[in-house]
Amino acid sequence: MTSDQQPLLEGHTVSKYFGGLAAVNNVDFAVYPGEIVGLIGPNGSGKTTLFDCLSRLQKIDSGQVLFKGRDVTGARPYQVARMGLTRTFQSVRVYRKMTVLRNMLISHQWRDTSLWRMLRPSPANTAHRALQLLEFLQIEHLADEEAGRLSGGQRRLLEIGMALMPDPDILLLDEATSGVNPTLIETIKDRIRTLNAQGKTFLLIEHNINFIADLCSRVYVLNHGEKLAEGTPQEILQNEAVIDAYFGA
Amino acid sequence: MGTGPPANEGAERTRRRTPFPFLAPVHSLLAGWTGLAFWLLLLLLLALYPYTGVSSVALFVGSQIFVLVTLASNWNLIGGMTGYVDFGHAVFFGIGAYMMGILVTGAPLLISPEWGFWQALPASGVAASLFALLIGLPTLRLKGPYFSIAMLGTLVAMREIARVLRPLTGGGVGLNLPPLLNRLGDYYLMLAVMGLVVSLIWWIQRSEFGQSLIAIREDEIGAEMRGINTTLHKIAAFMIAAFFTGIVGGFWAWQNTYIDPDVVFVEARTVEMVMMSMLGGLGTVWGPPLGAVVIYYLQDLLWANLFDRHLLALGLLLVAIVLFMPEGILGTLGDRSSTSLGRLLSRVGRSR
Repeated sequence: MTSDQQPLLEGHTVSKYFGGLAAVNNVDFAVYPGEIVGLIGPNGSGKTTLFDCLSRLQKIDSGQVLFKGRDVTGARPYQVARMGLTRTFQSVRVYRKMTVLRNMLISHQWRDTSLWRMLRPSPANTAHRALQLLEFLQIEHLADEEAGRLSGGQRRLLEIGMALMPDPDILLLDEATSGVNPTLIETIKDRIRTLNAQGKTFLLIEHNINFIADLCSRVYVLNHGEKLAEGTPQEILQNEAVIDAYFGA
Repeated sequence: MGTGPPANEGAERTRRRTPFPFLAPVHSLLAGWTGLAFWLLLLLLLALYPYTGVSSVALFVGSQIFVLVTLASNWNLIGGMTGYVDFGHAVFFGIGAYMMGILVTGAPLLISPEWGFWQALPASGVAASLFALLIGLPTLRLKGPYFSIAMLGTLVAMREIARVLRPLTGGGVGLNLPPLLNRLGDYYLMLAVMGLVVSLIWWIQRSEFGQSLIAIREDEIGAEMRGINTTLHKIAAFMIAAFFTGIVGGFWAWQNTYIDPDVVFVEARTVEMVMMSMLGGLGTVWGPPLGAVVIYYLQDLLWANLFDRHLLALGLLLVAIVLFMPEGILGTLGDRSSTSLGRLLSRVGRSR
């Protein structure tokens, strides 16, 4: 599609093995600036492992990951985060004993953070941004609540807020809709659209096919760690191999 | 794959009120600048205390309490705020003590003449801090109980090393330091160290650095994924905690005038630090100092009444703290308590 552009995030023959099992096997992919790309596949197909490889939580056994044209294959997670790649987790990771606002404040952009700043309480403009984002996600009334006391859906929204705090270029959302009620799913969908219109790129792992079909311009399908198919949501839904992988034997 | 908790956005989550309404203002007063102001006022009163014509025994007791408060606050930085439960923190105390002992006695291996107390004291802290860097790089990669055990192993190993390094440490015979008694000087020195350490913890806790430590405790992978250089922050916290523990160790060696491996590298001292922090409130600024004072007087009381069985009573107390008030005094009395005792107090408080 936008092949004349440089991809924002790309992987070349990315592989990850757990013992003899290839969790991710020779996967090539590219996400271009401004896209919303879906990543689907049956349980255990390697989606989250691929996310972990991209965000540098897991070491890659072979292959290469480029972010903004730079090789980040050997980078540490905090380094890619500072470069502008943030993510959420399938099992939500929030700081349970901290208030929602403090969760947001501490997730600010750490790139170029001076020692002097680190020795001070969060500055007012960071707090201002945090409150704005909480409002955008409709959880500003929970700002002083401990994160551990939020419901599952509220925690997912908070996690998205935390991923947005450093003003990233790309967000990797791992099952942002699981355990979330239908009304809230619509909210999340709407927020992703708004952010995308503002120039944010998304890579989504999702089991909710409607969610993918509504949002994504392109979809990658993984099965047994290998790339099974890629294309528009319509193409994917009619793809024999994909239907086989999901419903076949 | 939907492993997330079920959504129930509609459910109103009622916040429990504080069990003792009259304590609510105390809690808000302890937070922020007023807390620091109270602390500085207390330090001022303690600085005037010797002028009330007290005995040298009282001054000695004072300096002992200041030592405990400093140790508890330091342990809390790594064990409470960062969540790395250090079962071998006494190793830094021991290294500080030995650094002092070796330097002021000019132990055989050293060619240079012996140092004075004031030169040796900072060296004790620096030695402990450098050791924390050295040992922290491998051990801080370990999570949960693995870190705790590794640090316990470090403590035991250092005790044996001190025993074997006879030319430097005097081995099992130990080192005798020059006995120079100055109760008033000791009192003021430890008052200053304690004042500095607790104020520093107060400062750290409200800084972004301190908040990042708490974030690491709550979810280290999450913190790393959101741009925090977790290794750097953990090592920094560990080195700060070790520095002041080393200072206290150096001071203790000086005050005690004798050290050997079995009196400075003691597990009991670590247990004491853990207990004081937990009793007061892990991860809070004022909890560990409060816990230290309570433990000191409790130990005194138990020792006077139970003699050799006082350790048994203290052990049982530790079990009771873990079971019934893991959030400590400040946490249990706070308005966000989630333990059974906290809830019980909460109910009692409300029914009044």
